[in-house]
Amino acid sequence: MTVALRARLPGAAAVLIGAALALAGFSLSEVPGDGRILAFSLASGALFGLVLQRSRFCFYCVTRDYLQVRDARGLLGIVTALALGTIGYHAVFGAFLPVPQGGQLPAGAHIGPVSWVLVLGAAVFGLGMAVSGSCISAHLYRLGEGSLASVLALLGAVAGFGLGFASWNFLYLQAIQAAPVWWLPHYLGYGGSLLLQVAVLAAVAAWLLRRHRQPGTAAAGSMRSRRLSEMFFDARWPGFAGGALVAGIGVLAYLRVAPLGVTAELGSLARTLGAAQGWLPARLEGLDTFAGCATAVKETLLSRNGVFVGGLVLASLASALAAGEFRPRLPSAGQAVRAVLGGVLMGWGALVALGCTVGTLLSGIMAAAGSGWVFALACGGGLWVGWRLLASRAD
Amino acid sequence: MSLRTLFAAALAALAAAVAPAHADSPHLVSTEWLEKNLSNPKVRVIEVSVNPGVYERGHIPGAVNVRWHSDLVDRVERDIAKPEHFQALLRQSGVSQDSITVLYGDNNNWFAAWGAWVFDIYGIDNVKLLDGGRKKWEAEGRRLAAAATVPAPGNVSIRPANTALRARLADVVAAARKEANVALVDIRSADEFNGKVFAPPGVPELAVRAGHVPGAVNVTWSRLVAEDGTFKPVAEIRKLYADAGIDGRKPIITYCRIGERSSHSWFALRKLLGYDVRNYDGSWTEYGNTVGVPISNPAGTVWGST
Repeated sequence: MTVALRARLPGAAAVLIGAALALAGFSLSEVPGDGRILAFSLASGALFGLVLQRSRFCFYCVTRDYLQVRDARGLLGIVTALALGTIGYHAVFGAFLPVPQGGQLPAGAHIGPVSWVLVLGAAVFGLGMAVSGSCISAHLYRLGEGSLASVLALLGAVAGFGLGFASWNFLYLQAIQAAPVWWLPHYLGYGGSLLLQVAVLAAVAAWLLRRHRQPGTAAAGSMRSRRLSEMFFDARWPGFAGGALVAGIGVLAYLRVAPLGVTAELGSLARTLGAAQGWLPARLEGLDTFAGCATAVKETLLSRNGVFVGGLVLASLASALAAGEFRPRLPSAGQAVRAVLGGVLMGWGALVALGCTVGTLLSGIMAAAGSGWVFALACGGGLWVGWRLLASRAD
Repeated sequence: MSLRTLFAAALAALAAAVAPAHADSPHLVSTEWLEKNLSNPKVRVIEVSVNPGVYERGHIPGAVNVRWHSDLVDRVERDIAKPEHFQALLRQSGVSQDSITVLYGDNNNWFAAWGAWVFDIYGIDNVKLLDGGRKKWEAEGRRLAAAATVPAPGNVSIRPANTALRARLADVVAAARKEANVALVDIRSADEFNGKVFAPPGVPELAVRAGHVPGAVNVTWSRLVAEDGTFKPVAEIRKLYADAGIDGRKPIITYCRIGERSSHSWFALRKLLGYDVRNYDGSWTEYGNTVGVPISNPAGTVWGST
């Protein structure tokens, strides 16, 4: 009896969290002014968290799978997200800005300046991912899986943001202010930019498929379940399914609120904290004029990105509970140090690159931004260096 | 076009011709009127919002987007849009000689009112403000469209700029020195007027002096609007100004910080009350920084002192 009861406890908790999220969504929609947008942000954040957790949409983990055992399924999921997101973003662009050649940029899209600071920031971010074991979005969903190391990594990221703010004015005046902003449709039109991106991503996918080696374990997400809950929560969802869902959420989020991003709230917390303590320069030159994961000194408790991230963490917790993947675990001393250090590197990199693997890589490439592609390459380089260093130490 | 749509269009045109667009003023239209007249080919709707991304994520169906920062002001000189640029913008926006142009926007129509002022300077007829702006349209749950509109080009021709609608620094200095018989209306908040603050909360301090132009009266713009963002009844606005000594017997100059909020008060004084009003777009950011002009600073705040 008690054993049976205990076995049902996580599932019940998951249902409760789901219900609480739904209730919170309804009450948020009543907030005067921004209510509709806040409710949408919570719902899309929750859906994003569920998809990340179920499909293990973790930029570092899937890259490591490929580097170590040539398992390319996770990376193919990311490529799927980018290709479908590109198609969806171009559809939205046609509505937002019918003629792309006029020198204007589509409102709010994460299209950032390209300079050596972006390359450096992305590379440091990639290194931080390898050191801490995940990128920021994956730490957020792992928080829901009970990873206490992720708490340390996120605290480290807040500190890293602080260092980013401290170095911002110098980097801005050295490079970012005069850096070009490249947006493919300015040069190729929507048709050209769409075809080029899909062709490049298809080539990457074909290359990955050629080099892919199927691991011996059972394929994820087989459809042998008889119950709905088993279908969703027994096995992880295949990478390409996660990627397709991420693309859908990303496009809808851009259409309704803003491109996907997970660092604006963290950065805003760091900025509010730093400003209150008098640690930051009184003026951060030009920082608030860029499209990207914008940070602001917090004036209200409920922000769109804060609600989005809150929904992400809670939904991944519910999802992990339902799947029996909620396993609180204490990190070893070495893991704790790596989590904090990696977090600091990621926080600094995400601030100077105006976003992370979600805000600049995913939302940038989907938007056909040069900054997204540059981030992907430099971040991949940093990740590879970090992975090699760690592998050589393990040997 | 089927007979039915033809009939509907004819009905709509008839409704536009006979039904008053607004009970209180020919220069305003109600949300209800606008919704009924969206299919009227004579009606052009233009959104002027200050927040980027607002228009894109849902606007009044058929409305085109005009950006205050780059379309209605000159990008190099501190000036309103140059005539050739403005005419091209209007034609691109589908405005023709016989169009009824309805302007609306976020932030209580501040920037839409700036638009109405620029339209008036260039002599465009039949320009109206949507009473209550975006806020009211949304609050009433009226439908929005997300796809931007590219209208067929219009044929409107602008007239030479009417300088009688615009005050320059020299005009305001003359009023401050009592060399001109002009009433000055400062439409900013009481704290800005009294010099307690240099700028409203969240807005950069762009003047090195606080206070107001000597002789100005303070009628904060927000006193002209009801809770839902619409203008109060004309009689009430007339009384409100009369109580502050502004009765239209002398020419008036309105100003604020950069001239956008004061366009809103300019619209009320000029269009709703019919007074002789000039908007001073240099406003406090020009006057408060000018060397050798008198100011009044009741709070005695000194910029830069700690």
